[in-house]
Formats: sequence, C-alpha cells, structure tokens
Amino acid sequence: MSEKPTVEEYLKNIQEGHFRAYRCVDCGLVIAPPSGSCYGCGSSKMEWTEISGKGELVSFTVIHIAPDEFVEEAPYFIAIVELEEGTRVSARLLGFDPLKPKEVKLGIPLKLDYEKGKSGKTYLAFKPV
Amino acid sequence: MPLKNTNIVSAAHTKFGKLDGVTQREMFAEAVDKATINAGIPKKDIQAAFIGSFIPEMLIHQGHSAPLLLDFAGLKGLPATRHEAACASGATALRAAIMAIESGMYDTVLVAGVEKMTSSTTPEVTEALAAAADDQFESSIGLTFPGVFAIAAVAHMNKYGTTEEDMALVSIKAHKNAATNPLAQFQKPIDMEKALRPPVIAWPLKIFDCSPISDGAAALVLTSNEKAKQYTDLPVKITGSGQASASMNLCDRTELTSFSASVDASRAAYKMAGVTADDMDFAVVHDCFTIAEIIASEDIGFFKPGEGAKAVRDGVTALDGDRPINPMGGLKAVGHPVGATGVKQAVVAYRELIGDAGPNQVPKHDNAVVHNFGGTGATCVVTVMRRADA
Repeated sequence: MSEKPTVEEYLKNIQEGHFRAYRCVDCGLVIAPPSGSCYGCGSSKMEWTEISGKGELVSFTVIHIAPDEFVEEAPYFIAIVELEEGTRVSARLLGFDPLKPKEVKLGIPLKLDYEKGKSGKTYLAFKPV
Repeated sequence: MPLKNTNIVSAAHTKFGKLDGVTQREMFAEAVDKATINAGIPKKDIQAAFIGSFIPEMLIHQGHSAPLLLDFAGLKGLPATRHEAACASGATALRAAIMAIESGMYDTVLVAGVEKMTSSTTPEVTEALAAAADDQFESSIGLTFPGVFAIAAVAHMNKYGTTEEDMALVSIKAHKNAATNPLAQFQKPIDMEKALRPPVIAWPLKIFDCSPISDGAAALVLTSNEKAKQYTDLPVKITGSGQASASMNLCDRTELTSFSASVDASRAAYKMAGVTADDMDFAVVHDCFTIAEIIASEDIGFFKPGEGAKAVRDGVTALDGDRPINPMGGLKAVGHPVGATGVKQAVVAYRELIGDAGPNQVPKHDNAVVHNFGGTGATCVVTVMRRADA
C-alpha cells in the first residue's frame, strides 16, 4: 500500500468492492473522496489506507427525479456518512424504504456496503449496523 | 475601504420564462438595448463587456459566446469575456466589471448575463446542471442538484426544527411577490395546499420548492463617478464586493446547515463597505430552492442560525416586512436562467433602491445586499449597494 494513490484507482477500488481512503503521510489525516492536498497540514504526500467501514449518518435525501443514467433506480437514498476515521463521504443508503424517509434518523450507526446499480456500476453504499 | 468609484446607472432584464422562438443572442441584445439606448446611454460609450453565462456549450452547442453576443447586440469589437461560475456566473461577471472600473482601466462598461435553457429537453438540462457538481465523486452516484439542497434541508430540519411547511412559505411568498412582476415566469399566487403538492423531486423538496428552467437575459451599465452624472441624477453605488469558495463536494463540508462561502463572501462584502447586516434594508438572495433562501437569510447575517424559518413564518421577509427578501419574487417565481440570474438580482436591487419597483417597492430602500450562489455552494458572490443620495 505504498504506491501513490490516484483518483482513477480510488474509483476502481469502489467498482471492485474494496473501498480505500487516502491518508496524509505527514500528519495522518484520513481523506475521502480524494484530495490533492491535505485539509489538515497542506501536504501533498498521500498513501492508501484501509478503513474500518464504520460510520454515522449525517444527512440524506431520497432522489425521485433522477438523471437519465439513474432513472430506473429511482427513488433511491443518497447519504452523507461520517466515517469513524473522521472523513465524510457521499454514498447510497441501503436498508430503508425510500418511500418512508421519515423513518430514517440522523446519527444512526452505519457500516460499509456496496450497491450494484442497474447501470452496471457499483456504488459506495452504507447500511444500518 | 469601501469601493469608491463604481456606480450602476442603468439596469434591465428581459421577461424570464419559456421564451419560444427567441434565441440566446436575441434575448441578450434585448437586455442590452433596454440597459443602454432605452436608458439614454449610447452604445458607443461602452468600453468593455463582462458576460455571465453558465453552459451554452451543452445547452445550445455554442462556445466562445462573448464576441458572438456582442456582435449581435451592436457592440462589435469591444474587449469581452464570458465568466462562468455555475449559477454565480452573473455575479462573477459583475465583480470583474467592478474591478475594471475601480482600477481606472475603464469608465463605462456593460455587465450582462444570459441563458437559453428551454430549447433543451429536461434530461439535457438536468445533465448540464449536474456539470456544476463534482462529476467523479457525487454526480456519479446519482446525486442531483435538488438532492444537494435536500440534504441541507434534512440537516436544517433536524438541527433547528425547520419544517416542510416553513419551506412552502418561502415559495408562497415568492409567488405572491412575482404576481405583480410582469417580467416573472410565474405570476400566480399559490396557497399552502399547492405549495406542498407532489411530485417529490428530492425528498423533502417538492416541485414548488424548486426554481424552474428558464430563458432570459439581464444587463447593467456601470460607470465611474465622473461619468455617472452624464446618465442619471440617481446612481446606485456599489460599496462592497465579496467572493468566496467552498468544497465542491457536499461531503467535504463540516457544516450542512450553513454554506461557508455565503458567510465568508457576505462578511467580506460588509467589511469592504464598512457596514453590517443590520444596516441593510432588504436582501436579494439566491433562492434556487426554498431551503436555500432560509439558509442564505441566516448566512448573510439577517437572522441568527436556525431562525430563518421563523422569520418567514412571522412575515419578516415579506414585501412589507421589516427585512424584505426577494421582493420581486426570487429565482423561485421569476425564473432562473442560470447565467442571467446574478445580473438580474443586481437589476432587482437597483430598481428597488432607486424607488422604481412599482407594486413591488420595499418601504425602506437605502441599502441592499445581493447574494448569488454557484452550484452546490462552491462559489458565492455578495454585493453591497447604496443609493447615491442615501
């Protein structure tokens, strides 16, 4: 895991069901999605890091009117998830009925998962613990 | 230090809406004519042009718009550049023009914005608008523009108790104000039942929480103090301008109930003008979605964080309230031709400030703040203005 991380590899890892984050070599801050420089110390030295897969729901929506590519999947949840490591990602939210959004409570614990879309793409996803 | 030398001496916009049979260049030329010859300003006096336009490449297959538009509008040969910052394109053009006047490089310049959207299909427009978000990390999982603001709405509801009815009140106010604005896309008041009506676009945002797809153009003429007297006895002074950026990705923001670029840009603009939010008589804010107006009203300092919804409920932001917001009807009901919006907002502030807003006139109109927001909130431009005799 010492090779320099790239955006292309980050996206490919998700497609292959092996999500990894960036970590700043200089200060250790975990970063995802990728950034070319560290939000903490400004360093541009990054390495890959595995993550625990544990997170918490920060906010969400249910997309009803979707772009062409996702029309067949709608309605679907999009969530902001804060990982245990401190960084936040946007992801699909699984395990809830998209027609009953009021049943979803912010702050609930989540764990990493993946969703295979009808488009054939794999999305980063989270589901309740 | 407040800006010293920038005056708005004329301002106008076309009708906003679905302008069938009117091309981008035709509406641009109409707005330019209204702001120049119709206002007694000869086109030959214009020395340069600053043009806001978001995405004509995708919507009408036309790049390099600035010289094309100028040519059609009878301004051939002038230095002109298109400014692009998604929905804040118009205000970034305005800001560049302000810098050009303040530097002394030019005396008289044109600021204009335009977007032709309704000749594209809704999926084409949706795809084009999505280009203002991070394609690789957020659009790629199916997050849409309404979705971004819906996520902010859910966070605001959770933290402050804001409700779907509160957001609907913003829409009701916008439609009420636009009912007497002949340039508005929608001129019909709506009630609560209608404002809450499906379809859901991105829960909790429904169709009446969203600004429409629109065509339109807007134009301003800015001049130096010396030249301003030639054109009007009552110019509007631009005294402060602030611009800030934030992360493109919503997930990279630490705060979802406030947009940091709005806070930073408004503080910078107030500081430059030597004023505070309390000095402002009214505001024109970027209500691309109803929740965006509530959050903007807090971010620009009109209300404390979490109290924006209460202000709407109490009528404080109504046309006859203590702190009117979007007195002509906002993006929600007047329309949102993306590149024109930031310029149109300045047109609204100008007309209100000089007392030329007819049935939409706010009672106190010495000082105004204009807030224009780009994309997911990654760009914000805030402009502070004062009527010259105030």
